[in-house]
Amino acid sequence: MTSNFRSLPVIALLTILSLPLVIMYAFTLVDSITDAEPGSLIPSEFTFHHWRFLWDDTTGRGSVWIATINTFIFAGSTAAIVCVTSLTSAYALSRLNFPARRFFLAGVIILHAFPTITLIIAIFLILQFLGLFDTLIGVIMVKAALELPFGIWVMKGFYDTVPWEIEMAGVQDGASRFMVWRKLVLPQVQPGLSALLIFSFLSGWSEFILPLVLAPGSDAQVLSTYLAYFLLDDSLEVDFNLFKSVGLFYALPVILIYLVFQKKLMNIYGGGSKG
Amino acid sequence: MPRFNALGFGFLAPAMIVVTLFFLAPVILTVFFAFTNMSTSTGITGGEYLLTQSDLREVKASGVSEETYDKLENAGYVVDETGLALLAEARDQATADELADLHAGAQFSSRRDMERALKDLRANRIRSTRDRKALAELFTSSVMDERFQTEEEFRAALTAASIPEADQNILVKVAYTGWVWTTENMKLLFSLDSSWRYAMNTLFYVVFTLTFNVGFGLFLAISTFYLPSGIANTFRTIWFLPRILPPVLYVLMWYWLTWDTGIISSFMSWFGVAPRNWMLDTATNAWIVVILINGFVGASLGMILFSSAIRTIPASMLYASEVDGANRWQQIRYIILPQLRWPILFTSSYQTLSLLTSFEYILLATDGGPGGATEVWALAAYHTALNNYGGNLQYGLGAAYALVLVVIGIVTSALYLRFFNFKDLVAKPRIEQ
Amino acid sequence: MTTFKFKRATAALLLSTIALPALAEDVTITVWAGGSNDADAYRIDAIEIAADMLEREAAIEGRELNITVEGKRDFGGWEEFKQGVTLAAEAGTAPNIVVTSHLDIAPWSQAGYIVPAEDYLDFDAWPLNDIYPNLLEIAAYNGIQWGLPQDAESRPFFFWKDTMRGIGYSDEDIAALPDKIASGEYTLQNVLEDAKKAVDAGLVEEGYGFYPRPSNGPDYAQFYQSFGGQLQDPETGKLVLDKAAMEAFYQFFADAVDAGITRKNHLGTDWGQWYSEVANGKAATWHGGTWHYARYTGKEGNEDFFGTIEFSLIPAGNENGRANTITHPLVYLVTDQENDDHEDIAAQLVKIASEPRLNSLHAIKSAHLGIGQQQSNIELYANDRWASEATERLLVSANAQPNNLDYGAFSEAMFKGLEAAWTGVKTPADAVAELESELNAKLGDNLIVR
Repeated sequence: MTSNFRSLPVIALLTILSLPLVIMYAFTLVDSITDAEPGSLIPSEFTFHHWRFLWDDTTGRGSVWIATINTFIFAGSTAAIVCVTSLTSAYALSRLNFPARRFFLAGVIILHAFPTITLIIAIFLILQFLGLFDTLIGVIMVKAALELPFGIWVMKGFYDTVPWEIEMAGVQDGASRFMVWRKLVLPQVQPGLSALLIFSFLSGWSEFILPLVLAPGSDAQVLSTYLAYFLLDDSLEVDFNLFKSVGLFYALPVILIYLVFQKKLMNIYGGGSKG
Repeated sequence: MPRFNALGFGFLAPAMIVVTLFFLAPVILTVFFAFTNMSTSTGITGGEYLLTQSDLREVKASGVSEETYDKLENAGYVVDETGLALLAEARDQATADELADLHAGAQFSSRRDMERALKDLRANRIRSTRDRKALAELFTSSVMDERFQTEEEFRAALTAASIPEADQNILVKVAYTGWVWTTENMKLLFSLDSSWRYAMNTLFYVVFTLTFNVGFGLFLAISTFYLPSGIANTFRTIWFLPRILPPVLYVLMWYWLTWDTGIISSFMSWFGVAPRNWMLDTATNAWIVVILINGFVGASLGMILFSSAIRTIPASMLYASEVDGANRWQQIRYIILPQLRWPILFTSSYQTLSLLTSFEYILLATDGGPGGATEVWALAAYHTALNNYGGNLQYGLGAAYALVLVVIGIVTSALYLRFFNFKDLVAKPRIEQ
Repeated sequence: MTTFKFKRATAALLLSTIALPALAEDVTITVWAGGSNDADAYRIDAIEIAADMLEREAAIEGRELNITVEGKRDFGGWEEFKQGVTLAAEAGTAPNIVVTSHLDIAPWSQAGYIVPAEDYLDFDAWPLNDIYPNLLEIAAYNGIQWGLPQDAESRPFFFWKDTMRGIGYSDEDIAALPDKIASGEYTLQNVLEDAKKAVDAGLVEEGYGFYPRPSNGPDYAQFYQSFGGQLQDPETGKLVLDKAAMEAFYQFFADAVDAGITRKNHLGTDWGQWYSEVANGKAATWHGGTWHYARYTGKEGNEDFFGTIEFSLIPAGNENGRANTITHPLVYLVTDQENDDHEDIAAQLVKIASEPRLNSLHAIKSAHLGIGQQQSNIELYANDRWASEATERLLVSANAQPNNLDYGAFSEAMFKGLEAAWTGVKTPADAVAELESELNAKLGDNLIVR
């Protein structure tokens, strides 16, 4: 490398700037398995005590496992709905000709960048009208609807890169458009699909405001509201190390997914998500 | 390619249904709500007709006839023929006779007194409290404090009380408990000093966070570009994590960093600085923390987009510039930055919109504090409509706040659509593939 | 006198539908309690005990009644709780019983979420006829008894005795303080002076001379009253903005900041930090609630409450005002349900839970005050020094905030103005001017400006 690519000063600067984040990550990890003297930062003993919420209901919030299962159902179903529906509609928008296609396209783009959270009052009313308020299904549908324009947009981008020749060949062999889509085009966009699946799953896993407002009951509690309780409650006795463990437990799947699918994720986040 | 394809609609249908129901319909409803006085006390789903004592004050000021007002005010419970006949029907004649003996013609101003009168019965005791209360209602002569489901029922009762038609119209209006159409919300919104403060807060927040996002995103992208890939990836991971970590956990981490029992306080105490809540200590502190919390998340988006754009610069160009004697700064200034013009423009416009409407991180971190210093417009909408200490949630006013954002959102998206070729910008940036 | 045949017919119809409950009845009663932590567990537990009692009573009468009580009190904060109840009620899934602030009665009754307790309960009979009439009055709105008081409390002013001694008070002087405050002899101006002395003498740090509650709450209305402010006009029931009193009240806090006895950035201080500081003498004077006793002596480890802390009414501010304290009782409310029998059962449970013995469990465990006169004859209650002294010294002079639809907006705006004056964003006069225009815009006719 040339002189302009000398890296030591850059590394030093980046390290200093990254320090706050690294400290936060490190202490989350360390504090969740150790105890320290009050007022001291250096841990003095090793303990699994802070993980007791896994087998004991010490938090007053009910079992963490129910919240975990709910979160899996919530994130999984949202991701599934988003993927399946954007898979078909993005194909229609990308490749099929039908009236008002331009209108739908513009609509998707506008909704894609829309201030969704301002709609929450109206969403509540609709859920209540459908009898889905305070149910997991209701929140899943809402979350999926709000994610859909983004999903469609991303999938359309992937469809656009599939060479026309593939479809042409299929159609000329006498297959229907549907068969062409299923047999020839779908395998081509498979990488995009899995990226979208991971993205929507993570997005559902992290969602906080929607479950907080639309499913306040304990039946539909997810991990974000389970954890947020510690932040919002004034009167609670503060046991930060316990929260850190709960938080770490909550983030574990996210970190695992990141480690496994790093490249795919960078790819789709580069495609422009909600900032 | 066929000119028309039914498959297109079939393929679109599922998405259309979901989006229409849970996305488009709320947009339209928000517009409607903004022009109602909907709140906790009016309810959302419609109202009933109920005259209460506080309504009476309004009735007095609204110009109903003296006679009607007196009728409403003085009405109470009367032990009369009709009531006694109904009592005989509901229980038996003996009960009615005993009550007639004791209290015939008596008037009571409250139900409690009427119940006491019924308690006086000795030979025909009414033992159940619930029965006694129901029986007391047989003697009422008032429409006060009674809920009527429909206007017809209410009018029927008013007519039975021989209240004239003209007064009935006024009473119907006063007694309605549901929401009504109004433009007051918009007027209120523009007349409140606090609205302007929220608007200024929002402007401040968006401008500074955006500057941080883009500036720091650029710095990260360019600096990691100059590093060996292993180290670059480590730093990118560090800066990418805030983006995918759940917001609740991410903000909790900031609590541990900034609170009076947190890392900064512990660290500063070695230098004799008293522990304090570094997040909420002053408005300046709160703003710095809010901007950093959002900025760290936003910078990662910039970092990824800019990195991939830099990667498209041919390496030969960079080497050539060095042969010409350009130093690193000149390289960045004349080769890399021009390449990044479009991604910067895109990130800025995209994030402007999402920052305008996002309040999740602020809600979790400062909740608008201290002293409303970090209350931005979207958070004010949330607080007004769904979350305030007073307990009377103002859905209508909150929707009016939201409507302002909805309008800004639609207008700016439409503008972007016109001015940018979003397709080129959004569809393809893929790095490392 | 005219009669309403129409209405009477409905009443008769109602009566005819009241049948004896079926032979075996399984009922689930849900109870949501806001702002409750472990110490307040009896808000729900008392309903469970009551359910057991009601089942036994029914069994003796030959009916089989099985009541399952489902309690929930783990809401984030008051805001989340109110949001939850409101939205659930709109959706038709409201809990049967809610434990909440009495201020919610106005909007919730107007919206039809709750039903009047007086529709189901006999207030002339035990135990309801034992409840303090002024507390019952607080749970009434528009002349209707909507709920039952669940507990009482009051919000006293506190002095740290050691610090007071340090600035020249003898033990007798300190013991005489509550009376001098009640008579108006010792005012908030004296608080400013004494707190300043304490800061100057280095007994407490700067900003710790007067250490108020760090967030919005009923407490601040007390200081408005201290300067002669009135919350509600008794004649018309309208809310009152007394501009002079409001400005003097804002000015007091601005003065406290200027004098260095209160921190400019005090509002928003973490509650945990606040409790630990006041309970251990880091502040010279402060104000809080009677239930703080449990926290100071429990978690914060103050072993000798009566030896270290003196408490009194909130002192008067000037000659227009009076020493006062606000009680902000929580109330049991019964919500509107499809099945009227369930409303009745819920009302009966709430009634039984208001028995002196049951209520004393809650009062003593959570350091609240009792609701009924006979509680002083319950040993658990009578033997508790804090409960009996606080009842005697504070509760007799306590008033409550008004049940009024617009009071929420009033109190929020008042606090916003205070914040602006406190943090120096506005002068007290400007803050009052903005408050006036905001209240005029929001409340309209329901406001009297003086």
